[in-house]
Amino acid sequence: MSTISQSRRARAVLASEWIKLRSLRSMRATLAATALFSVALSVLVCGPVGAHWSTFSAARRAQFDPVDSSLNNIQLVAVFFGALGALVVTNEYGNGLIRSTFAATPQRGRVLAAKAVLFGVGALVASTVIVLAAFGAGQAMLAGRAPHAGLGDPGVLGQVLGGALYLTLAGLFGLFLGAVARNTAVSVSAMFGVFLVLPVLVNSLPKDALWQHTVPYLPSNLGVSLWHTHGSLFAAPWLAVVGLVGYVAVLGAAGMVQLRGRDT
Amino acid sequence: MIEAHGLTKVYGDTTAVDGLDFQVKPGHVTGFLGPNGAGKSTTMRMILGLDLPTAGAVTVNGQRYQGKVWPLREVGALLDARAVHPGRSAYNHLHSLAAANGIARARVDAVLDEVGLTSVAGKRVGGFSLGMSQRLGIAGALLGDPAILMFDEPVNGLDPDGILWIRTLMRALAAEGRTVLVSSHLMSEMALTADHLLIIGRGRLLADTPLGELIARHSAERVDVRAADGPRLAGDLRDAGAEVTVEPDGTLRVTGLGSARIGEVAAAHRHVLHQLRDVTASLEEAYFRLTDESVTYRAPAPESVVGARA
Amino acid sequence: MTAAGLRLRATAGSEWIKFRSVRSVPAVLIATAIVVVVGGVLVAAGFRSGWSTMDAADRAAFDPTFQSLRGVELAQLFVGTLGVLTVTGEYTSGLIRTTFAATPQRAQVLVIKGLILGAVVWVLCTVASFVAFFAGQALLTAPARHASLGDPGVLRAVFGGGVYLLLIGLFGVAIGALLRRTTAGVAGLFVIVLVLPIAVALVPGDLGAQLNEYLPSTAGMEFWTVVPAGDHTLGAWPGLAVFVLYVVAAGVAALVLLRRRDV
Repeated sequence: MSTISQSRRARAVLASEWIKLRSLRSMRATLAATALFSVALSVLVCGPVGAHWSTFSAARRAQFDPVDSSLNNIQLVAVFFGALGALVVTNEYGNGLIRSTFAATPQRGRVLAAKAVLFGVGALVASTVIVLAAFGAGQAMLAGRAPHAGLGDPGVLGQVLGGALYLTLAGLFGLFLGAVARNTAVSVSAMFGVFLVLPVLVNSLPKDALWQHTVPYLPSNLGVSLWHTHGSLFAAPWLAVVGLVGYVAVLGAAGMVQLRGRDT
Repeated sequence: MIEAHGLTKVYGDTTAVDGLDFQVKPGHVTGFLGPNGAGKSTTMRMILGLDLPTAGAVTVNGQRYQGKVWPLREVGALLDARAVHPGRSAYNHLHSLAAANGIARARVDAVLDEVGLTSVAGKRVGGFSLGMSQRLGIAGALLGDPAILMFDEPVNGLDPDGILWIRTLMRALAAEGRTVLVSSHLMSEMALTADHLLIIGRGRLLADTPLGELIARHSAERVDVRAADGPRLAGDLRDAGAEVTVEPDGTLRVTGLGSARIGEVAAAHRHVLHQLRDVTASLEEAYFRLTDESVTYRAPAPESVVGARA
Repeated sequence: MTAAGLRLRATAGSEWIKFRSVRSVPAVLIATAIVVVVGGVLVAAGFRSGWSTMDAADRAAFDPTFQSLRGVELAQLFVGTLGVLTVTGEYTSGLIRTTFAATPQRAQVLVIKGLILGAVVWVLCTVASFVAFFAGQALLTAPARHASLGDPGVLRAVFGGGVYLLLIGLFGVAIGALLRRTTAGVAGLFVIVLVLPIAVALVPGDLGAQLNEYLPSTAGMEFWTVVPAGDHTLGAWPGLAVFVLYVVAAGVAALVLLRRRDV
């Protein structure tokens, strides 16, 4: 048995998980719908600005940022990526496939790692495409009529890639959340809770000292730090990356423990 | 009694059930036989009003199922043993079914006892083995003491004791005058349990006969003969009007003549016989002859699968 | 009792046994109540402790009743998921076939499921809303403003917390019956209730705000608000009516499709 090398086993697990990932029902449809949603929202936000720029007051013009306006839909898109990530794991618990999977590969940690790696890479590619598309569509609506940004402008590429990184990490957050909860309904609603409801709830609280030391470090707010044209309330981008990776790592560890400790 | 007239179900461009006409009568165990994908489960679902027919109709005791107020008191069905909420206890599962049709709580205890699940009545159904789930499903079918019972693959997951028990139960129910419809793949079980058969293939009814008649009509009664001088005996038997096939190992397969007559012919021509054997017909043979053309999902014969050893 | 009445009573009895016999349901309900109370308490405490950092405009617009009920926003995740699962759970396990074989009157089954979930959620969440209100107001000591039940609109708003969650639960049941799969149902419900308002609010100018006020959750939220959020608000009772309309529409669609579809 141990004549099969480690790398060959790793490739085998990756191959089988890739087949499963590719064939996951509605994966492509959901990603396409998400892309459409993101681009549409960017257009809907930037379009009116471009059309009515001449009527804007000086104060309003000062507040406007072309990059933010085309990227602020990312906060919503993050939930979709997280839900997809959760589904990659919880789907197998739902239909019982998880038993065959663990029978084929008893090293359960390897299975979870393979899923995370494959989904992570896929999410990075997909999110980059989606964020670029949303950015481009928004700037196209602004060009010639209002201030608009280009990828070559200082910091813009970083914001775009930062947004894609946030979406990827949100997806992995969801994936490991799925491994911990092992239940689709719980994982999906938790994603909505953590990435949508929680920030709406606490972001509007008065910004006292306690607030300033805690709220900017919520996963969704760390995400904002990665794509937003910088403001004082946000954590520094490097800190945001560390924080998000930290959240994912903690969930990942919990997921590993859960996987090994329980029967399926 | 269950009656179907022109019962048809089309999904997109697949015709799952195609113009079925049949009656399932009381006092018999009627076996529903057919290859995978033949339309048996679809038909059963249409009987229970779960799937709506594309054309035609099926009635239970003269009435469409959807019109019944207390259906479980007329029809008890086991379609899928795993169709239970895993977090619920066996008792509560049956209790909720009983309550839905105004069936007394005492019946829940009674059927649990009848299927032998009293000791685990309070346990979560999610922890049940397949055999236990199967028995729970049967309990659910018996709950309303119905005159009509339908079982889809009831012996799946049962141990030999359980298989004997369900076979005895089904025969007893039919003997009481109830209508019993069983769908199964297990030929041997079907042969022991059913006395009337509905054979379905590719959505069409292929046979609707008592078991004995089917076997008699479709299986090949033959005699296997081995003799010292096989080829010469084959010739003599053919002269006597039999059809003879010679097997590679020299055995003669003879049809058209009974074993007594074959013995006489052999003696008349001074043959030495080594074996004279009646091969009785089986349901399996009859079934395969009948459904040969209508198998939708067929695995290749073992010889044609090229192994690594070749 | 008439035959139809007996049939209805049997369905109700059966669905009640199903509702109470799965451990996770009471657990989620208890969590819901806790979230309503704890969420409201934490928000109220947050406003009290940060009162000095708020500017005059924010202080004037502060709605103590609404803020003490903010837990409802979090609780809707629990209630909505429970509503969806009431239906999709049976489709996933296949139990739905047994249910409809026992009770071919499918519309009755769906309505009873909704009524049972709705009634339990309503009673529980109304109590929780009152507890959250009183606890929150107790925390909002001077200089922060607090509200009393006698103040205009307050009693209605506190009842509104329970009503809103009742409607979210029913919305979940309807969407679950329409989509029949747990993932689609949960995601669908929360896209409508959570994502759409945020997305529409991002759209600049009047159009976004005007559209937003007619969205189901935005409109429904009016019913547990005392101080209007901005220029474009429907008001408490019109808001409730709009939300109810959405839920009824989803319910009717679910009932119609239920009869026509295969199980």
